[in-house]
Amino acid sequence: MANGDATAARLWLWARKARATDWDARFAEELPRVYNFFRYRVGPGVVAEDLTGITFEKAWGARDRYREDRAGFETWLFAVARNVATDHFRRVRPSVPLDDIVELAGGDTPEEIAVRRSDEARLGALIARRSERERELLALKYGAELTNRDIARTTGLSESNVGTILHRAVEALRADWDKES
Amino acid sequence: MDDRMLHEYRREPDPAFARDLRERLRRSERARRIPRPVVRALAVACAVGVVVALFAIPSVRVSAGAMLDLFRVRRFAAVQFNQSRLDALQSIDKERGFLVLDREETLRDPGPPRLVPTAQAAGPEAGFTVSTPSYLPDSLAVDSVLVQGEGRMRFSVSEEKLRSVLKKLDVKDVTVPRGLDGQWVEVRKPPVVIQRFQSTNRRAILLQARSPEVSVPPGWNVEQLAEVGLRVLGLDPSEAKRIARSTDWRTTLLVPVPLNVTTFRLVTVRGNSGLMIITTGDESPPPGKPQRKGVMVMWTQGDRVFCLRGNLSAGDLLQMANSVVP
Repeated sequence: MANGDATAARLWLWARKARATDWDARFAEELPRVYNFFRYRVGPGVVAEDLTGITFEKAWGARDRYREDRAGFETWLFAVARNVATDHFRRVRPSVPLDDIVELAGGDTPEEIAVRRSDEARLGALIARRSERERELLALKYGAELTNRDIARTTGLSESNVGTILHRAVEALRADWDKES
Repeated sequence: MDDRMLHEYRREPDPAFARDLRERLRRSERARRIPRPVVRALAVACAVGVVVALFAIPSVRVSAGAMLDLFRVRRFAAVQFNQSRLDALQSIDKERGFLVLDREETLRDPGPPRLVPTAQAAGPEAGFTVSTPSYLPDSLAVDSVLVQGEGRMRFSVSEEKLRSVLKKLDVKDVTVPRGLDGQWVEVRKPPVVIQRFQSTNRRAILLQARSPEVSVPPGWNVEQLAEVGLRVLGLDPSEAKRIARSTDWRTTLLVPVPLNVTTFRLVTVRGNSGLMIITTGDESPPPGKPQRKGVMVMWTQGDRVFCLRGNLSAGDLLQMANSVVP
């Protein structure tokens, strides 16, 4: 059975009438944020698009079980996105050599980066070197553009902890950037 | 490198990708709009406010001095009805809207279900120690745990609308009791803990909560209203009267299930009587309608109400239900 569609579940989960919602507008609003969350996690390209698609398909299937206010929906949507990312990394990790992670994340090899000196590619590669937790928080902060409070709500970390980790991650990125300039 | 660069790493999704994804979601939406038989049965039950309030929730008088009659769930029973009646009710609902309800107000929004790390972590929010199954068949593993907060709403039933529905259905042998108009029925839904389990091909979901409560104005003739509701659901007059009179409304939750696509039987879960509903699905579903199958078990234990459902075999689901312990 699909989620949330059983008799007792419906009784308990509040049998309220569906309110009219402009889902096209909601989709247009959330798509760039989810896509960029994955762009920060796995780099640009089809992988980010695939993971974005999986997230929306999972979320859309059960979206009417969730309150319509924006904060509640976002927290839930990015909880789904995080699970999709976790599944993805669990799947690909054994088959991806460590050296390839930069390529996977940045879309360019270090040699190409050196030739092109692309700021964007450099940044992607530097982000890919950060720890799993830092990459996730960077993706939620800069890709999904969530506030520290929303990130805390989504990840279960405290708001101050989120701020600390992000501060350290950005400082480390800055140091790496300067070192390689 | 600074914050600005980090923000500028963002890019708009490829328009073709965005368009394709939106179209995929639209297609899935169209498929989702076709409700399953059990769900449609419930949709009707929800639409018919009397059914929700008086069929679904058994009654317990709190005390002689109480202002309201309070209904709580203690056990489950099923009542079957015909699909054609469901279609007729849906048609009336579409035509008139709100079916038999006069007013409806949300007093406390339960909010969306929120993810929590573990079942144990859900306990403090739910107000009880969360029970979990020790037996998980078919490689099922915990997928996620959610908690939804308490909700409260109230509604009133229109005698005129209820009479009109009976007239449209050509039901002439029951009388709508007087004194319904303007009277609020209040529903309280305590917090619910939702545990989802998943494997490659199987999934199950366990819901648990303290019993929902429904408060109705004192003096309502529950038996008479139940008979009206059962006739609205399409039971024949003698059967409706028999069930209305023989059911212990103080302890029984009546679950409407459609004929043909659903079977049910009484089961025992950890020494408590429960209800198993097996949805077999239409043999030949109309074009566009998915073939749906699944099993659901509902039971109570102490002050707790449980519902376990999934696309498992009836035996596996029952064994899983019997393994649910605090």
